Amino acid sequence: MDTIPSPLRPFCVMRDRIPADMTARVAARFDVSGFDAVDDGSAAAWAEALLVERADRDRLREAFHRNPFLTVELGEGGDEPAALMEDWSGAPAVEPGFYLSLTTGTAYGLQCAVLVCDELTRRGALTAEHRPNVEMCLHEAIANAIVHGNLGISSAAKNQPDGYRVFGQMLRDRLGDPDIKRRRIDIFCRWNASTIAVAVVDQGSGFDSATTASATDGKARSGRGFVFMRALASRVAVTDGGRCTVLHFDV
Amino acid sequence: MEFQSRSTPDALEVRLAGRLEFTDHDRLRDIIDALEGAKPRRFVLDLSTLEFIDSAGLGMLLILQEEAEQRNVKMIVSGPQGDVKRSIDLAKIGEIVTIEP
Repeated sequence: MDTIPSPLRPFCVMRDRIPADMTARVAARFDVSGFDAVDDGSAAAWAEALLVERADRDRLREAFHRNPFLTVELGEGGDEPAALMEDWSGAPAVEPGFYLSLTTGTAYGLQCAVLVCDELTRRGALTAEHRPNVEMCLHEAIANAIVHGNLGISSAAKNQPDGYRVFGQMLRDRLGDPDIKRRRIDIFCRWNASTIAVAVVDQGSGFDSATTASATDGKARSGRGFVFMRALASRVAVTDGGRCTVLHFDV
Repeated sequence: MEFQSRSTPDALEVRLAGRLEFTDHDRLRDIIDALEGAKPRRFVLDLSTLEFIDSAGLGMLLILQEEAEQRNVKMIVSGPQGDVKRSIDLAKIGEIVTIEP
């Protein structure tokens, strides 16, 4: 598929028509007033899009190849306007950057970090030299957001006899709950000549970031995710009561 | 992650392939079931074809070590490469688990 390099068209076109009320919400949420409609005969062309139903890796890659700023997966049930009312940490549309919003059910097992790093590479932001560190940190942040954030499972579950079985069962149970499964994971990437910044946002209960381990703790079965992030990223910030992890990489 | 197991007269060898990560807890259970069934003297975990391991996967290595110890089985991790080796080194897993090149 040909790419469409157009900074005036930040959103991806994946559907024939977007309801007017949704268009208005996107405009309000993402401050797209600076973007002009593309004159191709359709109204509000910048907003025709962004929506991928039941995202899988191939559909997301297809969406990315249209160079959108924002790519949003719809939740189950076709509640499209509701999907855009959810609290996915609205941000101004910036170039260069992109924003991916997935349900937890999709993000689990999708290897989002690989997908996002592929897209950062495709857009020229990430070199092969820096990719291993970025991908590892991003993977850990996304895993935390899914497991401890949206699925609400504590690592303490592993620290008991047969803990891994308990942990595995909790994962299956939570992923089987429609309300939990549709919670969002939002990944927001932006970059300039010297830095890549990636924010990973979940809709969980948050946590006290001061309690995360700063060094590898011997035989502990968990807690190394933040150790990796602090070792491999240039800076790590946790905001929004633990619901947002921002990784900075000097490149 | 996919794995293949092979029993020799005194050892169970399990070769992991692909990615060992937080979505693989059920596979861990399968490996422990294989360990329980084989009752070997040694348990060799071959990582030479493993491409990626995350912090949860490293925790699984430690769980496997504990499960082996409980059965008086010696666990050896062999052949980690590339990014997998780097993560194992970063987390200092070699101070706890026997690792062979």
